[in-house]
Amino acid sequence: MLNRRQFSIATALSAGVLAFSSTRQVLAQAPQVARFRLPIDPEGLFNVQSISAVVSGVLGNYLLEGLVYLDADGKAQPWLAQSWQASEDGKEISFKLKDGKTFHDGTPFNAEAVKFHFDTILDPKSASPAKGIVGPLSKVETPDGMTVVFTFAKPFAPFINLLGQSYFGFNSPTAVRLAGDAYPRKPVGTGPFMFDKWVPGASIELIRNPNFKQFRPDATNQGQPYLDRIVLNVLTEDGVVTSALMTEELDAASLTADGVVPFAADDRYNIINDQNAKNLMFMEFNYKKAPFGDLAFREAISHAIDREAVLAAAFGGNGKIALGPLSRGIPGYDDKVAEAYGTPYDPEKAKQLFDAAGWVMKDGIRTKDGMPAKFSIRSYASSTTERALAVIQANLADIGIVVDVGTADWGSFYPGLLKPDWDMALNRWTWSDPSVMSQLFRSPGHRQLLPANPAIDTALDSADTALDPQKRMAFVSDAQKAILEDRRILPLLTDWPITVNRKVLEGYHFDYLGYLYAGDLKIAAA
Amino acid sequence: MSVILLDEPLVPTPPRWRRFVARLLRNPSVVVGGTILILLILLALFAPWVAPYDPFKVNPVQRLKPPSWLHLMGTDEVGRDLFSRLIFGSRYFLLICIVTASISASIGTLLGLIAGAGSVVTESIIMRLIDVMLAFPYILMVLVIVAILGPSLWTGMISIGIAGIPGYARLVRSAVLTVKREDYVVSARALGASEADILFRTILPNVLSPLIVYLAFSMPLAALVTSSLSFIGLGTQPPAPEWGAMLVNSRTYLFSAWWAVTGPGMALFISIFGLNILGNGLRDVLDPRSAA
Amino acid sequence: MLQYVARRLLLLIPVVIGILLVTFLMKALIPTDAVTAIYSGTLSEKDAAEAIATLRAKYHLDLPWYQQFYIYVRDLMSGDFGESIRLRKPVMDELGYRYVNTIILTLAALAIALVVGLTTGILAAVKRNSWLDVTATTIGLFGISMPAFFFGLLLILVFAVWLRWLPVVPRGTMALLLPAVALGLIEAAPISQVARTSMIDVLGRDYIQAARARGASEFALVVRHALPNALIVVLTLVGLQIGNLLGGAFIIEAIFGWHGIGELAVNAIEWRDFTLTQAIILISAATYLVVNLVADILYAWLDPRVELNS
Repeated sequence: MLNRRQFSIATALSAGVLAFSSTRQVLAQAPQVARFRLPIDPEGLFNVQSISAVVSGVLGNYLLEGLVYLDADGKAQPWLAQSWQASEDGKEISFKLKDGKTFHDGTPFNAEAVKFHFDTILDPKSASPAKGIVGPLSKVETPDGMTVVFTFAKPFAPFINLLGQSYFGFNSPTAVRLAGDAYPRKPVGTGPFMFDKWVPGASIELIRNPNFKQFRPDATNQGQPYLDRIVLNVLTEDGVVTSALMTEELDAASLTADGVVPFAADDRYNIINDQNAKNLMFMEFNYKKAPFGDLAFREAISHAIDREAVLAAAFGGNGKIALGPLSRGIPGYDDKVAEAYGTPYDPEKAKQLFDAAGWVMKDGIRTKDGMPAKFSIRSYASSTTERALAVIQANLADIGIVVDVGTADWGSFYPGLLKPDWDMALNRWTWSDPSVMSQLFRSPGHRQLLPANPAIDTALDSADTALDPQKRMAFVSDAQKAILEDRRILPLLTDWPITVNRKVLEGYHFDYLGYLYAGDLKIAAA
Repeated sequence: MSVILLDEPLVPTPPRWRRFVARLLRNPSVVVGGTILILLILLALFAPWVAPYDPFKVNPVQRLKPPSWLHLMGTDEVGRDLFSRLIFGSRYFLLICIVTASISASIGTLLGLIAGAGSVVTESIIMRLIDVMLAFPYILMVLVIVAILGPSLWTGMISIGIAGIPGYARLVRSAVLTVKREDYVVSARALGASEADILFRTILPNVLSPLIVYLAFSMPLAALVTSSLSFIGLGTQPPAPEWGAMLVNSRTYLFSAWWAVTGPGMALFISIFGLNILGNGLRDVLDPRSAA
Repeated sequence: MLQYVARRLLLLIPVVIGILLVTFLMKALIPTDAVTAIYSGTLSEKDAAEAIATLRAKYHLDLPWYQQFYIYVRDLMSGDFGESIRLRKPVMDELGYRYVNTIILTLAALAIALVVGLTTGILAAVKRNSWLDVTATTIGLFGISMPAFFFGLLLILVFAVWLRWLPVVPRGTMALLLPAVALGLIEAAPISQVARTSMIDVLGRDYIQAARARGASEFALVVRHALPNALIVVLTLVGLQIGNLLGGAFIIEAIFGWHGIGELAVNAIEWRDFTLTQAIILISAATYLVVNLVADILYAWLDPRVELNS
């Protein structure tokens, strides 16, 4: 599960072409090099140890491949797997693998490699953050060289779709064993590009995999990758990235809505808005602190926020407001539930609800039983959250709720929420599967503060164990309704991550999960 | 210096402070810097009367409007009037300068005085402590203290204040060491003045001028470090119209809404430049060596 | 002289112990550790509990602080600076190479700072209170009058985007130029000020006046008499500046993507990766102490009066 900052990094992994366009004309056969941006230096390219967005992006875009990929509708399709079959009771899933895939080090990809990956994740010594994601997975067996059987403590519906994430892309077991602790600095996978070199803090360079075989039918290029080399430059500052795109030192990059303005009218650049974005910005409440345990209070406050204004301020309007607790881009999002049970902006209604709940207006601030409506909202420091908070603060002030806004860097903000002394928090999460709701909103919840709510908990548990997609989605709808009825969170919006690429870089497109079709990338002949 | 001595008997001597003010006013740096500082103080005092709008009033319909007669410096990303925010920002700027300087200068001066005038043991303890602090990378020390205290405007100011202590201590100590050997101190001691008396009544007034010059330079530095804190996400809390935080949050508009960046950028630049040049001028006037 | 050096070296011991203590105290006081900072936000707390416990044990974060301190100092004695929790590799693997980069940037910036600072300082002193003084002082103060990140962005805008003289993305030797200019102009201000003051001081002295009266050219006066004197004063300042330069480099490195210890430090603080932060503090402090020692010894050697006074 990815928080906002990490995600913005994931969509950010983008393209770069020859830095000197003039030399391209002279040397028609010159190596094709693309340059992309990395928003931070990855901590290590090993998906067992790290699932941060930047790591997952580099691995998933270029280096690793998984058992399945998700097609345009978000449905799992065979990639390195040929087929799969779940047992009657849903506690066993067996995969048949495709033949003929080799790792960059020449060793063959087989059932052993799959088992090795999951065993390493399950090993407590690895302290793998991916372990929490596969939840009830208990063991992995290989009846033969091309078959893998996964056994679960209880049926685990999100599993197949999760396999599309690069956390479950495969590393060469030989390379992992050989390199030991140094492996995260020289990853070996099966993807279209191979790791070449890493200048820590500056750049990562990848070269073409000469033995690549494309197993994904949805890739445009079914043959060898076109690019000879990909350079990923670590550039943290957006203004620098905008400049580098202008000077053609980068070929593509993720940017904020304000950062793309200079390219909007320039026909040398493409701007891509990911309208299938799977993120959600929302406000959460500390149930253990009065009055946020009170449904009437949460209900009233839920009508007070002008989401369109938040979207305009924070993301330049680039996105869509959210009424439901699940991002629109995630399969199972139920628009009918969101419309029927959501809380659209209605300050008058909010005021009435507050009055009815006993929060009386006095000198510009509401009070109940001697307690003034004076609270705090916390968030992580970023231009988007700070702009959003400015609007939220003003909206709440209009209805007599005084909030004090506090932002901090990630290291202070997020772990700080574990101490239950906060009132409200503004957060943004990205995940591709409806099981995100179980992680965040099922009691006792993400921060151990949520009281049991049978309607929510049962619906979520059923959704996570129902292997039949249709049944599962029905439970997912129920869960959305129950979460909304409890006003468990205040959904705000989904923003559309933006990437800019130079048009000379062709084939720059992303799949359902936001991974780049790296084999399709090509630099147009001048 | 000898030149002044030669001239003096010929001219009727005006009171000391008036000569001093006259010398200040003859120095262009002092005039420019002083004017900027006085303007800042006036803006801060009369901000509610000067600012045409409420600096916190959000108006999403009017977001990112370029400068016009309605909004002299345009509006920011949530439609607040930038001109009003910049005017109120002067209060934060001065607050940061004053609070950080008070912390660094008071503790630093005290440590410096004690180190300079105290026994060998106290001196070496204090000076080793100062050495430890000086060896710390300045920004890193500020960052770590803020990380410990939790980010806010006040913790930021306290951290910057603490990080500034060694500079003052060192400066004051070396000034004290010089002053200590001067005749008037020696004679005060001979006349039986107590150590504390000598320290605060005789020595302190005489180390004031390097102290004032140092103050003028360390205050703008505090404002700069505050903006660095915002840059790292450990700075002033929104929606305070603090120029550094405003600049950090608007910097992505450099290519699209220039006024949102230029406003806080220019406000910071002019104010910091003003204080720096004031420091330059004060040094010219107060430092007898260069006052020829 | 030898005695002076020996005494200065002895004085370093309590300082180094103090730095160790203070960095450790900071680690103990910071409310979050790297393991929690990294794992929270990637998945829910209850799922992460086991992984967090494993890692905390691995990095001794579960021990009382005095035991942690003992382990830390013991490892340090054997040259082991510990392992970065976020990068999961020995701190020195990452630091060594970045340290060299920071030193390169610092020296380049220092060269620019000296050129700009001395030129503006001397011009301002020679043509005192003229428009040239004002211009030179303004140029000298320019870099220090705005936040480093903003100054950096403006430099990129002007020199890389508008003029296209320099690359935006660090590449080859040219990569050094923009960050070095940014950092150099920031550090030029104090050098300019000190150079100006000391030049004015020297130019006002009797022997200079006498030489001037004898008809020596102004240029000769400045170059032969005033400059060497001013340089000695600047030298001590440069010693102090090195510390600032290392510190000032943090933001500049982050903006320009210059992979030095500053950029690393910003990350380390953000992720509360304290082993890394401690190592960065230690290595910066050590550099500062050594440079200052050398500067002071040089100063004492150039100006024997110092030795007697201190």
